[in-house]
Amino acid sequence: MDNLMSEGLSLMVFGMGFVFVFLTLLVFATGFMSKLVTKFAPEAKPQPAKPKPAVAAAASTGNDELVAVMTAAVHQFRKH
Amino acid sequence: MDKLLDLWQASGIYNVTPGQVFMILIGLLLLFLAIRKNFEPLLLVPIGFGGIMANIPEAGLAMSAVENAIHLGGPEMLHTLATALNISSAEPEAVTHAYHAADAATHTAAVYAANDHGFNNGMLYNFYTVAIASGAAPLLIFMGVGAMTDFGPLLANPKTLFLGAAAQFGIFATVIGAVSLTTLGIMDFTIQDAAAIGIIGGADGPTAIYVASLLAPDLLGAIAVAAYSYMALVPMIQPPIMRALTTEAERKIAMVQLRHISKAEKIMFPIVLLILVALLLPDAAPLLGMFCFGNLMRECGVVDRLSDTAQNALINIVTIFLGLSVGSKLSADKFLDLQTLGILLLGVIAFGIGTACGVLMAKVMNKMAGGNSINPLIGSAGVSAVPMAARVSNKLGLEANSQNFLLMHAMGPNVAGVIGSAVAAGVMIKFVG
Repeated sequence: MDNLMSEGLSLMVFGMGFVFVFLTLLVFATGFMSKLVTKFAPEAKPQPAKPKPAVAAAASTGNDELVAVMTAAVHQFRKH
Repeated sequence: MDKLLDLWQASGIYNVTPGQVFMILIGLLLLFLAIRKNFEPLLLVPIGFGGIMANIPEAGLAMSAVENAIHLGGPEMLHTLATALNISSAEPEAVTHAYHAADAATHTAAVYAANDHGFNNGMLYNFYTVAIASGAAPLLIFMGVGAMTDFGPLLANPKTLFLGAAAQFGIFATVIGAVSLTTLGIMDFTIQDAAAIGIIGGADGPTAIYVASLLAPDLLGAIAVAAYSYMALVPMIQPPIMRALTTEAERKIAMVQLRHISKAEKIMFPIVLLILVALLLPDAAPLLGMFCFGNLMRECGVVDRLSDTAQNALINIVTIFLGLSVGSKLSADKFLDLQTLGILLLGVIAFGIGTACGVLMAKVMNKMAGGNSINPLIGSAGVSAVPMAARVSNKLGLEANSQNFLLMHAMGPNVAGVIGSAVAAGVMIKFVG
């Protein structure tokens, strides 16, 4: 009978201790993971609608420039 | 006239025992609670109905082939079984005892002997073997729960994991309670029984069934019924404890809005959790592994079809079989026992202690954080019972301060409680399994 009681007590001490240790480690592991993620793979913050046209515009101006440069280059080439 | 007599002697009225009548009434009570009072109807309807079917006299739906043969086969059958089991006495009790104590080879011989004479497993017995004895159903439900769980609130405030840990004290305090009852000579529980009863305090149906099926299959019916009934009673059990342990000022504390959680963090979390389980507690791997798998399917965003199945169609199918199988354990000889009363009593104590410890832990954390940032009401949500316990926290918060929405804050400790009780289950299986 006493044996059963001591088994129960040790189950409580070890069990509760382990649950706390495990979840404490999980708190650290989660915090560490969150830090890593925000550092190395920061989520492109809410960017619906607005940034997209800007990017597209940038791309198109880039193209225009390129076309202008190429046309100039071709002109130069033909002159010679 | 003989034919008529045969028919009468094969009828339910002729064969019914008082125990069976009582268990059928209990099944009807569960159906009433589920249908009229809306107590966890998704589980109590199948459990109640399974309980009624298991107690139909002479049908033997919840019995194995050999048990049916012992019950219905007559002296000749008993003799054959006794020979198969290598015992001299052909009394039904002796044969039953030998059958349960037999090693695998003798057991199989007895099953073949029964099958040869045309006896087969009852339908509910087969369901139980496939769904619960194999461990499949609770684990599949855990996968579905994982697929339904949003870890966002927990990731935004990982410290709430401590609340989920504190609330597990109810489980272990109840183990001590069960052991003390045995030491005092009031009940007769082994340490395995005590552990399986304690897990009711985890307020998590599938975990309770999984642990009970491994540690104390005989008590499974009572434990499952207690666990689900108390989960339905969370809105009644918790508030008085929460009010008693907190001051009006504490209940009014408003919490700051949670930070935004990126998709990558949500995808990484189940993997981090799984690695931690693999490193520290492989015994919790079946439960938490399935849980993490379900959650990864939800968050990764490329297998929406699988995630949808896990959290809808599959969990519904499994729930039907799980409920009927649990019902099959509601047989008179196992359920009508002083132990069942003890289990019901210890279960509600487990719930109460868990709630109290969660609230007290939240109070301590609030004091340590300056006294005005953590509302202790969210601590009670640490006893899983997702999402009912979180709703109770929210409701009490609104009562104290009508602008105080605690639901999302309480979801953190709530899902932490699921992880906590699965870890506690793993520890129990490791130590006493």
